[in-house]
Amino acid sequence: MRRIYAIARKEFIHIVRDPRTMIAVLIMPLLQLFLFSYAVSFDVKDLPTALLDQDHTATSRQYVDALKQSNYFVVNRNLTSTNEIDGVFDKNQSSVVVVIGPGFGDSVAAGHAGAVQILVDGSEPNSAQLGQAYANGLSQIWGAKTAISRAEASGANPAQAGGLSARTRIWYNPEAKSASYLVPGLIVLLLAVMAVQQTANTLVSEKEQGTYEQLVVSPIRRSELMIGKVMPWAIMSALNVITISAIGLLVFQIPFRGSVALFAVSSFLFVLCVLGLGLVISARSSSTEVANQLAMMISFLPAFMLSGFVFPLANIPPVLQGISYLFPARYMTVIARTVFLKGGGWDVLWPQVAALAVYAVVIITLSSLLYRERS
Amino acid sequence: MLPIIFIMPILQLIMFGYVIGTDVRDIRTAVVNHDGTPEAQLVVDSFVNSGYFKQVAAPTSDAAMQKLIDGNKAQVAIVIPKGFADSVHAGRTTQVGIVVDGSDSKTASVASGYAGQVVASLSKKLYPALASVSAGSVDAQVRVLFNPTLRSVNSMVPALLAFILMMSTQTTMSQAIVKERERGTLEQLFVTPIGRAEYLIGKLVPYVIIAFIQITLVFTIGTFWFNVPFNGSLLVMGAGLALFALTALGLGLIVSLLSKTRYQAQQATTFLMVPSMMLSGFVFPLESMPKLLYPISYLIPLRYILVIVRSNFMKGSGFIALWPQFAAMAIFAIVVFGFGLSRFRKQLND
Repeated sequence: MRRIYAIARKEFIHIVRDPRTMIAVLIMPLLQLFLFSYAVSFDVKDLPTALLDQDHTATSRQYVDALKQSNYFVVNRNLTSTNEIDGVFDKNQSSVVVVIGPGFGDSVAAGHAGAVQILVDGSEPNSAQLGQAYANGLSQIWGAKTAISRAEASGANPAQAGGLSARTRIWYNPEAKSASYLVPGLIVLLLAVMAVQQTANTLVSEKEQGTYEQLVVSPIRRSELMIGKVMPWAIMSALNVITISAIGLLVFQIPFRGSVALFAVSSFLFVLCVLGLGLVISARSSSTEVANQLAMMISFLPAFMLSGFVFPLANIPPVLQGISYLFPARYMTVIARTVFLKGGGWDVLWPQVAALAVYAVVIITLSSLLYRERS
Repeated sequence: MLPIIFIMPILQLIMFGYVIGTDVRDIRTAVVNHDGTPEAQLVVDSFVNSGYFKQVAAPTSDAAMQKLIDGNKAQVAIVIPKGFADSVHAGRTTQVGIVVDGSDSKTASVASGYAGQVVASLSKKLYPALASVSAGSVDAQVRVLFNPTLRSVNSMVPALLAFILMMSTQTTMSQAIVKERERGTLEQLFVTPIGRAEYLIGKLVPYVIIAFIQITLVFTIGTFWFNVPFNGSLLVMGAGLALFALTALGLGLIVSLLSKTRYQAQQATTFLMVPSMMLSGFVFPLESMPKLLYPISYLIPLRYILVIVRSNFMKGSGFIALWPQFAAMAIFAIVVFGFGLSRFRKQLND
């Protein structure tokens, strides 16, 4: 016990003495969380739109107003001929081009369909998909409203015609803010990246500086060395989790509907898993460069791509889905998101927590074994 | 180290190619059918036949439905109220309840959009009187150009070319230079007849070559395996990427100047790299960035090369169309590389 404490204390002094590490460990995650939570989103609004109105009637202007008022489209260019359309897309001046044909107003007044062409730039698929959906939806709505007012003007009672309407309720995130979806996963990502990098580096630098042999000669056992090395980082990561979550709650008003105890336990286990991964990496790395690259491959990329942080896991190929089970970030993201947004408890989340516990035990044992082999 | 150089880009390509997908398909749907009539079944069938929704459960109560959504077993629930068929036959406006799990906001907005479309067309089928009232007032033809299938891999592969170039040159180069400084072999080198310029070129060239190999690898796999169509010109791409490489090398030089240990170099590189990924339009579209932060994206070189690479790849945009981006890249390249080079030589001369 005393030996573990000695190692932990030494590690802590190393950390505190290097101001850059302190900044990296405490301030950077906060900065990144703040910046990215605010910045990253898929909520597309104000798509720059070029307008070619060949009709110039009050009706065509009403249609355009309907598009503008939706806040999804912002008209930033007015074109005068179809020849200009190619150039607009080529030069990336607008993402959408709306072409209202001549005779639009007359057609609508006569009760026929007025022709509108909406061209969407597919090279940014996210915005394109949403732009397409908005354009379709808005046109339908405007068309229905115009038809109803025309029907009323001619004496028919449209309410008698009935109709099916969808009553849509969006749970847990009524404004569909992607921040609420992204921030819990972001917390997981930042933790994973930071923790793995730290541990990967400490052990390897020991080897390189030659202090490792000194440790081996001392009466300390491998497992005690591992635990001692990991402790300060575990504590600091725990502090980070608390501060990051607090910021998420206060600044971004992301709801926290679940059990604090569950989140605390899961975070602790997750940090152990990630630190254990870092130890495994450094056990197998001959130099810090290799450790760094491996840390990138094993911590950042899976945490970003295969954890469900941004990209839903349900639709990816089964092989990759299987691989995602090998990384703790996947389980923690589910826990984080459920605890923050849905308020699920132990009954819903016990499989993930159990997975993290098992993972932590396995990985730390693995790292101790790997160290023993090398010497 | 060597295998990692080739595995990393392939790994990234696999991840970005297969994982990032905007296709929201087979949305797991729970159906709560309180009515049980043929008309209610028609509603269910319309949702399933649309191809967007996949029925995974038929809970009998709202509580059971909630549990399914909480447990992530279903993303959407369709609730058909009791008396649905009677209401339709009586010609009254009838509601179909749609519950969407908002915690995945992207799927949520797309799912509600699709649900709305299904209900709208179903409405015309079930209410013939309505069809005649709302017949044809706007016929909006919405067409998606340049990437009609909206495959995001088509947009990611060109972006990866730039990203891998940045990672390769920036990280590996700064690490290598700082390693020499750490080990003290730098001074030893200067006792030899080698000149400063020769040293620099010798240091930079291998990483440029490696990056070039990696880019070619990604390009080939991207176009052949992932079937990403290439509509541009290699000249334009090459020119843009070369300018970007200069910028990345310059940044690597600057990082190596400021770092005494490789660990610090690594942290500085990560510090530069993560915002580049998030704020340049690489993963998250620039259009969805908050207005306040939008100007920051202008400071990130990756932003410009992404426009060049994606436009050229997918739309065939040339030098003339892309001149603003090329101008920006040239300025970045000259300023950053020039600054890094001059500082580096100054340090070497000391």
